[in-house]
Amino acid sequence: MEQSKQLIGIKEYIAIVLLMVGTKVTDNTPSILFEYIKNAGWMAPIINGLITIIPIYLLIKVFTNYKGKSLVEVSDHLFGKFFSFIILLTILLVAFVAVIVDTAIYTDIIGTMYFTKTPTIIIYGILMLVCAYGATRGFEQIGSVAWTVFPYLQVSLFLALILTIGQGNAAFLFPILGDGAWDVVKESSLRLSIYADFLYLFLFYPYIKSVKVFKKGTWLALMFIIINISITMVCYIFLFDYKTIMQLNYPYHEVIRTISLGFIINMEAFFLPFWLIASFVRFSIYLYINAILLGHLFKIKHFEYLIPSLATLVVFIGMIPENPTFIIFDIKEKLLLIATPLFFLLPFLMWLIAKLKGEFKHANKRDIR
Amino acid sequence: MLKKSLRKTHRKTLANEQSSSKDIKLKESDIQSNLEKTIDSFKSIYSYPDNQDVVFRSIEISGINKKSTILFINTITDSKALEDYVIGPLLNNKGSSQKVEDIIMIQSIERISKVGEIITQINQGNAALFVEGENHAYLLGAAKFESRSVEKAQNENVVKGPKEGFNEKATTNISLIRKRVKSESLVVESLMISKRSKNDVFIVYEKDLVSDKLLQNVKNRVNALDVDAIQNLSLLEQYIEERKYSIFPTILYTERPDRATSFIEDGYIVLLMDNSPDALVLPATFWSFYHTSEEHYLRFPYGNFTRLLRILALFITLFTSSLYVAVVTYHSEMVPPDLLLAIAATREKVPFPAAVEVFIMEFAFELIREAGLRVPSPIGPTIGIVGALILGQAAVQANIVSPIVVIIVALGGLSSFAIGDISMNFTVRISRFLLLFSASFMGLYGITALFTMGIFYMVSIKSFGVPYLSPLTPSYASSGDKIFRKVLQKEMLRPGYLKPKDLKKR
Repeated sequence: MEQSKQLIGIKEYIAIVLLMVGTKVTDNTPSILFEYIKNAGWMAPIINGLITIIPIYLLIKVFTNYKGKSLVEVSDHLFGKFFSFIILLTILLVAFVAVIVDTAIYTDIIGTMYFTKTPTIIIYGILMLVCAYGATRGFEQIGSVAWTVFPYLQVSLFLALILTIGQGNAAFLFPILGDGAWDVVKESSLRLSIYADFLYLFLFYPYIKSVKVFKKGTWLALMFIIINISITMVCYIFLFDYKTIMQLNYPYHEVIRTISLGFIINMEAFFLPFWLIASFVRFSIYLYINAILLGHLFKIKHFEYLIPSLATLVVFIGMIPENPTFIIFDIKEKLLLIATPLFFLLPFLMWLIAKLKGEFKHANKRDIR
Repeated sequence: MLKKSLRKTHRKTLANEQSSSKDIKLKESDIQSNLEKTIDSFKSIYSYPDNQDVVFRSIEISGINKKSTILFINTITDSKALEDYVIGPLLNNKGSSQKVEDIIMIQSIERISKVGEIITQINQGNAALFVEGENHAYLLGAAKFESRSVEKAQNENVVKGPKEGFNEKATTNISLIRKRVKSESLVVESLMISKRSKNDVFIVYEKDLVSDKLLQNVKNRVNALDVDAIQNLSLLEQYIEERKYSIFPTILYTERPDRATSFIEDGYIVLLMDNSPDALVLPATFWSFYHTSEEHYLRFPYGNFTRLLRILALFITLFTSSLYVAVVTYHSEMVPPDLLLAIAATREKVPFPAAVEVFIMEFAFELIREAGLRVPSPIGPTIGIVGALILGQAAVQANIVSPIVVIIVALGGLSSFAIGDISMNFTVRISRFLLLFSASFMGLYGITALFTMGIFYMVSIKSFGVPYLSPLTPSYASSGDKIFRKVLQKEMLRPGYLKPKDLKKR
């Protein structure tokens, strides 16, 4: 029987977005924020979230005009072949560097925190093997897995947070604005690109069941993510205070090392599997995004076949830095700064061109090509 | 030379074809009105008199004075019924103008003139009556195959609820289903699936529920078979399933008529066959393997308590031994110090690494299990002694394994019995070993990696177009009977992934 392609429902969609963006709170993204904003770091996700509403709103406005077209097709239509190629290539490069940087960080976390004696290449290899396998299964399958595991991951995060609050000190939160209101806003918004993944979500636009699901899902996911990330970051401060946390590279893993429950003193091995599952799903999505973009740019129709080679490439490039804990940290900081204007300006540009071309006036009458 | 020999073989096949085409021609022809010629040709078809149980009984029908012959195979025909309702009336007939149909008193009678069809009917246990001067035969329904009576289901036991199970006779099985669905919309279609042994399969469904697309899909799959013989449903299952190398089953196999019926009432399709004390239910999802019928017979809290036990048992059996190996080998800091010391003390004298130790015990456990299954019942108790004493106690005393490993393996083994379905049971047992290997290779990281890949694999399986984990994901309208069940009054919907014609149960 021909297995018809299934479109993704709202549960799966939200789960995907949450795993894509929400998992960031467990790597070194919070450290980067804390480093500049001190103990007001937990406000950055909220401030950025509020700013992010603008580009997402504009993008959704543009996309509702084109039924079932993804980011690449709309960009081709709006910017023309040549400029679209350059823009998409930039997006692809950012995405590819992000995958390399993030997988290198996650490998480093596993290597330094849990498997200190295991060679990096094995840890990296297994990580990418699982992700490549997951990505080749297809987008619907990634969505299904995301939704299947999501409730348990969320519960494990909440358990960790509850234990953290029990052992933390709320007074560490003050002075509540850190270095001052203006600094908080400025430094946060420079790192707006922690939400840049939302731009890539528009690649999945044709896979989602309906426009309504996409709109509702995106907004709900943004809300959940803001709540999740900022509460988790507040908990980090409760436990460590800002001085320590600026030193820590991977606060989440320090947290689960520190907390204890009754007679179980070390709980990190209990939380590790949940975090690993989240990471596997997350990088499956990233690999899939890269494959879509690459497939479109170079006219490869069955882009799923690119995934294994992409994954291999990621392993070998990601292995290059000798001291990932510091070098990758630096690269990631730069990447966040570079990607921010791209993430903020591209939606504006798209909306502006669509407006100038008069696309909004005859919305449903026109079909691209 | 090669060419020559090739030509030779070619000629041979041609000759073969000719003889078989002669056979086919005979089978497609109509029978003649000349009784003797007809009987002769049937005698040659059935290799009479070499064939011991084929009976040709000549009768002179009194009253109308016509010669006739009854042909049947006496091992699969009800001779008593033939005697009382066919031969008796034919011999004692008084009236001179009656038709043959009016003389015979047997319950079903049919006129057929094609030789091939007559043969099929005779092979199915019916008797054929040839009457002189008539160019058709009367097929009398008198089939009687040996079979056991309806007994208790052997493998799917329940404490509360009906006890009867399917037996090896398809007609009995159909009657057991009809007993539960007294409705004209219950359809029992039959299809011949094998070319040589002529095995029938019965497709049972409710016509105003089942989705036409699904039904057509199943029929196409069954019709596409091109094999000589398929004895029973266990073999048919392997012919029609999609992923033949997968460790996950995609067709449910049940021996309980009540379970099959409840699936039919939800819009599923059930296959029945002779020689199979069971039914195949398709399509199947992961949940159908995880459920048993008892959970709906028990009251809501009791049923869900059983479900809770089973889901825990599923995870215990999958993960205990691998977690033990992972924790002892890679994550010993996770264990509270007192317990760690206790484990270390018992492992002190054991010469093997934890992974080897657990693997030895797991393997021994599987051996006991397999041996217990195959051993002739008079020697059965020996297995218990060997298993419990030698492998359990003596192995510990000999310092081959530590006592804690015996506990771990026994716990996992015991829990594995909570998954009643035999196919899913194998899935769990095999996955347990895979997880054990990955745990000894990479600890928790390995377990999680394999587990994630397993979930990715599971969501990509489809059984007759139905995703394996639905209605969990992708979500469909349904009664939500997944890990836990709802109160019966709230289970108002048939599963939406089947696209039934009537979604709502009243």
